[in-house]
Amino acid sequence: MNLFSGILNGLAEIWAHKLRSFLTMLCVMLGVVSMVVITGFVEGMFASWSRNLAERGGLEKVSTGNTEPPARQEAIASLSKGLTLGDALHIKRVLPPGFHISPEFDLRTTLFRRGKRDWLRVQGVTDGILAINRYEVGKGRFFTELEVRDSANVIVLGTWVADRLFERGENPVGRFVDLNGQPFKVVGVLTHYELMFRQWNTLRWKNDVAFIPVTTALKKVGRSEKLAWVNVQVDDVERLNETVDTITNVLATRHNGIYDFKVNTSEGELASFAESKKNSVFFAGIIGGVTLLVSAIGIANLMLASINERVREIGIRKAIGATGRNIFGQFLVEAIALSLFGGLMGMAVSISVIDGLRSFLPPDNLPVLSSSALAVGFGFSVLAGVLAGVYPALQASRLDPINALRYE
Amino acid sequence: MEILRFDKVCKRYPMGDSVVDALVDASFSINEGDFVSILGPSGSGKSTLMHLLGFLDSPTEGGVFFEGRRLEDISGTQRARIRAEKIGFVFQAFNLLPRMTVFGNARLPLSYHSKPPADADERVHRALALVDMEHRAHHKPGELSGGQRQRVAIARALVNEPRIILADEPTGNLDSKTAATILELFEELNRQGRTIVLVTHDPKVAERTKRQIHVLDGRIDRET
Repeated sequence: MNLFSGILNGLAEIWAHKLRSFLTMLCVMLGVVSMVVITGFVEGMFASWSRNLAERGGLEKVSTGNTEPPARQEAIASLSKGLTLGDALHIKRVLPPGFHISPEFDLRTTLFRRGKRDWLRVQGVTDGILAINRYEVGKGRFFTELEVRDSANVIVLGTWVADRLFERGENPVGRFVDLNGQPFKVVGVLTHYELMFRQWNTLRWKNDVAFIPVTTALKKVGRSEKLAWVNVQVDDVERLNETVDTITNVLATRHNGIYDFKVNTSEGELASFAESKKNSVFFAGIIGGVTLLVSAIGIANLMLASINERVREIGIRKAIGATGRNIFGQFLVEAIALSLFGGLMGMAVSISVIDGLRSFLPPDNLPVLSSSALAVGFGFSVLAGVLAGVYPALQASRLDPINALRYE
Repeated sequence: MEILRFDKVCKRYPMGDSVVDALVDASFSINEGDFVSILGPSGSGKSTLMHLLGFLDSPTEGGVFFEGRRLEDISGTQRARIRAEKIGFVFQAFNLLPRMTVFGNARLPLSYHSKPPADADERVHRALALVDMEHRAHHKPGELSGGQRQRVAIARALVNEPRIILADEPTGNLDSKTAATILELFEELNRQGRTIVLVTHDPKVAERTKRQIHVLDGRIDRET
């Protein structure tokens, strides 16, 4: 019996037991769908995380912050003032001109306007933050270098802050808000950022912020000399280590040898996310694998039931010349045909599910249709069919034709 | 020319602690063009003989020879091939596959040929024409009468142009009128030169054959 007639025969048997076959194929289909869709979400999450990382300066970002000095330097810690604006200016001077630098001062405070109040994060920054954290001004402008130098009372609001302090349709630009009892003129409103929707928006921090000049923040609001961060964006990741060394050397010198600062890059974060991604894909594989195992058991069960019903047929086939191998092939082809169709259905449904999800999820966080996940899912489904078909097919091929012909 | 020969063939089956002699010292031969009946009452050993004739079983003692080759020297796969290419089976219960059409059923043995013949479809049409069933080629067995089903089974036995046709109680499930037409068909096939072995318990059926081998209690009682 050739393969083609074997497949036709298999299809006829599948058709003869439509419901039973459909339920078995459904198991295979679900295995493939779960594998492909979960992998798609993991891929999508990774893409979203990559975008998020880029929004925070990407791999090119070197972030310097304050930390406790080591125990051996505790006694002489007062020799250092911590991270200051002077440090930031010095770092800027020693780094190549293409690098962006953003000294940052952070405070949690309340903004007031006409009886409305908003508790939020206000950052003292320079325009360096625009390049590093990929901010854009949607309305108005960002503060100028002159305003930074003069410690001007100007402020740029994130969209959520603006929404909370101003009436709908009201243009905040040119109006004043009150910060620590001082009036600040709103010179601009940032663009709205969204990656995933509503409360899952992983970029909500970019909307829930207000910027004032770093000098104003230090002198007039925070009344401190100490910055929270000095962020630097290198022009090429290849120069990351070199930049980390330069910043460390500059700060070690300026802080009189006190290591009360830490210089971080995103490489560690990337490595840890790559690890999580690997684990998630593995997890997806496990879920899909278990579902396919269940479907394999379903196929084996169906095939054994089918053989039980067709003992006489096997006897007839053997009597008129079928070898054990012919019978084995026939039943194996049937099992493979079941899993093959289940796998194909799974691929089609996976594509539809991912397409469907992509149509209503926000464009920034879409599950990705991975061709490798499709191929692996389909391959596994066929493999499940083969493995599930072998034992029943072997049972069928070993039936004694005389007993099989007598079977009622 | 000799096709099949039994030489002191014995077949014993273990039955619990004892052994049952289903066939004892059976010796006879089937020659080309023979129309032989194996006649005996129920439990006489006819079916055992039929299974041995069709290579579905092996003797406990003695030799079964097909075209001069000893059965024991032929592997299981080769025996299956011989069944597919040189032996035609007709069963009492027709044994057609219900989900296949008449054409598919008649074609089935050709699927198991080592090299399926190029003119396979033509052969099926010829075999169906010979039993006057070509017009029902696309029907399922469930849509046919008993006599028609047996005709299809005969077409299936003929399609591989076998050296010998083995028919096990071919009229057992048919009414007398239909049985008569089936026997006429066998006679006609024999006239055309086909070798036929017919197993029956019915002396009237056996009378229609040229030679009768009488089996009783597992022994060949006599030949007429």
